[in-house]
Parts: sequence; C-alpha cells; structure tokens
Amino acid sequence: MRFDKRLPAVFVLPSMTVLGVLALVPTLFAITIAMQDRELGQLMPPSFVWFDNFIQLFSDRRFLNSIKVSLMWEVVTVGATMAVAVVLGTLMFERTSPRWRAVLCLLCILPVLLPRVSAAFVWKFAFHPLFGAATYPHRALTGESIDLLADPAMALITVALVDVWQWGLFFAVIVLKLLETLPKQPFEAARLDHASTWEVYALIALPMLRGPLISLTFVKMIESLRAFDLIYVMTRGGPGIATETLDMYAFSQGFIESGRISYASSMAVLMMIATTIAFTYLWKWTRR
Amino acid sequence: MKRRTLGSWFADLALVAAGFAAVAPVLWTLINSFKTRIDIATSVPRFFFSPTLENYAYVLSRESTFSGLTNSLAVAGSAVALGALLGLPAAYALARYPMRWKNDIQFFVLSIRFLPPVAVAIPLMVIWLGMDMYDSKTSLIVTYTLLTLSSTIWLAVPAFKRVQVEIEEAAVVDGYGPYAVFWKVALPVAGRSLIGAIAFSFVLVWNEFLIALMLTTSDAKTLPIVASELTQLGRDVPWGILNASVILLSLPPILLIGVLNGFLNSSFKRKS
Repeated sequence: MRFDKRLPAVFVLPSMTVLGVLALVPTLFAITIAMQDRELGQLMPPSFVWFDNFIQLFSDRRFLNSIKVSLMWEVVTVGATMAVAVVLGTLMFERTSPRWRAVLCLLCILPVLLPRVSAAFVWKFAFHPLFGAATYPHRALTGESIDLLADPAMALITVALVDVWQWGLFFAVIVLKLLETLPKQPFEAARLDHASTWEVYALIALPMLRGPLISLTFVKMIESLRAFDLIYVMTRGGPGIATETLDMYAFSQGFIESGRISYASSMAVLMMIATTIAFTYLWKWTRR
Repeated sequence: MKRRTLGSWFADLALVAAGFAAVAPVLWTLINSFKTRIDIATSVPRFFFSPTLENYAYVLSRESTFSGLTNSLAVAGSAVALGALLGLPAAYALARYPMRWKNDIQFFVLSIRFLPPVAVAIPLMVIWLGMDMYDSKTSLIVTYTLLTLSSTIWLAVPAFKRVQVEIEEAAVVDGYGPYAVFWKVALPVAGRSLIGAIAFSFVLVWNEFLIALMLTTSDAKTLPIVASELTQLGRDVPWGILNASVILLSLPPILLIGVLNGFLNSSFKRKS
C-alpha cells in the first residue's frame, strides 16, 4: 500500500497536542502545588515550602493507614475479581448452550455499566441493617440486625464485594470470549488422552491464555485505583478510618476537613509517582 | 453429550447464581423505585404492593435533578464528540501508517489512564479557579476530553486494524486519495466497532464522579453528583426517591448494553 507522507502528522499531532497539554499541565501544576502552602479560600498568595508537605506525610498516621488500606483494597479486589472471572468464565465456556451463553453474557456485563455511584447505592441499601434485602436472611435467622458497613473488620470487604460484583462478572465474560478464540485441537487431543475436564482447563486452556490474563489483571489494577466513588457513597472512609484509601484521605484533607490543598496535592503526587513507576514497569514486563 | 455428574450440577447452580446475582440487585432497585416509603422501609422484603409513580414525579420535578441531567448530557455529549473528532483520525494513522515513536505514542495514551483522578482534579481546580472558569460546563468538557480522547484512541486502534488492508488498497486503485480512503472506506467499514468504542467513552464520562465532584459546586453539577447528594441525606431518608434517582442515573449506560455487547463480540474473533 502507498502511504501518504503528511497524513500521520495531520491526524496524530492535534490529538497528541491536546492530550499533552491536558495531561502535562495538571501534572506539573500538581507538583508545584504540592510544594506550596495553599489552602482553600486563603487570601495571601501561596509561598513555597518545598518538601515540608512530603516530610509531614511520613509522620502522619492517617496517611500511613491510608496506604495500608489502599494496598489491601488493590490486593483484595484484583485477586477476587480475577478468581471470579477465571472460574465463572470457564464454567460458562464448559457448560452453556449458545443461547444461554448469550443471555448470561448480557446479564454479566450489566453491573459494570452502572455508574459506581449507582452500584454503591444499590448495595448500600441492600446492606441496610433494618430494611436491606441482603441482610434479611440474617435478620430472619437471628432476629438481630447486622450493620456490615459500620463494622471496621467487615466494611472494606463489603465495599470490595461491590467492586467484584461489577468487575468480576464482566471479566468472566472476557475470559469466556478469550476461551472461545482458542483453537480446538489441543482440547480434543487432551480429551483423547483421557485428561479430566479440570485438567484440560488448568493445564492447557488457561496457560494458553497467560498473556491476555496478565493484561486483564493489569487493567483491573488500574481500575481498582478508581474506587473513590464506591467508598465515598458507601462509607466515606469510615467507620473511623477503616476504609480510608489514599484518594479518600487526600479528598477529605483537601475538601472536607481542612481545605489543605497543598497537603492533599502532595499525597496525590506521591500516588502518581508510585502508580506511574509501578505500571510502567508492569507494562514493559507484560509486553516482553 | 454432557454427563450429569455431581460436579456438573454444582457448575450449573453456580452459573444460575451468577446470573441472578448480576441482575437481582438492579431489579430490586427498580421495584423499590415504585414503592412508597412505607412499603420500602420494612424488615421483611415486600414483593406485593401497590406501585406508585410519585418517586419519579418528585425526582423529575426537582430543579437540581433537571439541571444535573442537562449538564450531564451536555458535558458527556461534547466531550465524547471532541474525543471522537480528534481521536478517530489519530487512531487510524496509528493503526495503518508506519510511524516513528509509534509505541511511545501508544504508551503515552495508555499512561493517561494511570493518572490518579485526584492528582488531576486538585491542580485543575486551582487552574480553573485562576481562570475564573471553575464550576462551568466548559471546564468540565475540556477536562473530560482527556478521558474520552485517550479511551477512544485506545479502543479505535484495534478496530481500524481489523479492517482488511485489501479493501483500502482496492480503493486506492480506484483513485481514492489517502483522506478519502479514511473517510469513505476505513471509517464506514470499521463503523460498528467504532460506535462501540465511542459508546464506551460515553459511559466512562457519564459515570465519572470524583473529577466532577471536585470541579463543580452548583452550576455545572452532573447527575452522579446530584444523586450522591441524595444518598447523603440525613435521618428521614427518602428511600423511594433515592431508588428512582439511581435508576434514572443508570438508564443511559444500560440502554447502551446492546451496542457494548456487540463491541465485545467483534473484539474477540475466533482464530481457527
């Protein structure tokens, strides 16, 4: 095919310029703000305090707690989502007729389409200690109410359940589609060799999908960082600070409690640096 | 033929449970949105009740819901249109043309997804305040274009790659110029997948919450913000109204489910 010399520049430059400006300006600004002492509604022009905010962060126990909560959130949601996706996707592939498969796929991508605010509310009400449908069995059996979202030990897991409800079911559909793309011969050969169903998937199908599954995990890791909406609607970081992730803490420092924009920004910058390094490394590693 | 073993019974049971778990919460919210307060606030879930449209009437008559709805439509619509306008040509060039730094460009587009939303929202708030554009639809549209543009490019590149090169070559033989090949051949042929990519970027910004929460206070508030404010009401929670507003908020993405499902199917083609 003949290639036009100018077309790539004409087509690519405008959008790269827009993306570059829209991504770099806020990033540089975030770093600048993080080194100042800005507060919401202050009248004096901000002055530079350089690394004071960062130094302060490392003796801030709420900040250290939010790192722990964020890491736990990542591990729990990514792990559970992938587990649900692989098990459910394989079951769908093995057990369903084409018509049922189409119906199940449609049902399973419904949750992920809901705005997180909606999903959060749907489940917040379902877990309502007095009127919730999900807590009804507990009420009926024990006669007592149970408030999972107010229990420090259970709150994070309960919110994570909503995340897995949205993403695990959706990724199950993706795993199913991936299994459908595999050639049939290795499966048939394995069955001729009397491999059990379980062995066919664990030893042949899933290893063949290693690359795509790693990419999916990567996507979920990025997506799990955006859990703010769920936590904001369901617990607001509570009870206490049991579900306070990094972005939740940054938000409440910047907007709810004290209006310390610079302090909040220094957290955001640390988060940005950590995720960029981690994901760049992971991306290069998955592409090897 | 599939044998009926104990394991297979469990497998089918798990699938039924998964399907049920996927829709039941949403259906239950839909049912609740037609209930009066007395029918919702019961210890035992109530399936039989006389339905009411009061909740919807109340939600739709509220000034804040209406302005949230128009803001959401205007902001999401404009950002998606801008993303498509700029992103589709870029994706086509990335998919088809040999280019220096091609991998770097694609990595840059993806890396925008790594940016934590807080890290973008805080400085943008300061910037828009400084430009006296805080809490305006324009500032939100510009901000959202970052999201729609990067996701449109990311999803449209494979869609253009799936267009057979032979079709485009045939068009060149017929005397089409490079731009005409894009407009009249590649764009229509990849059309259905591209609509899926655009629908995805619409859902992304329609559902967006954190950035809108930080960049708006009253005039430009989008629907998710308005709905979340309802969920934060104090003691006398109007549960029916809440359920109705959640359903309204979720309706546009749910209506796109067919398009997005088709997009998924076309993205994974069977290799034989």
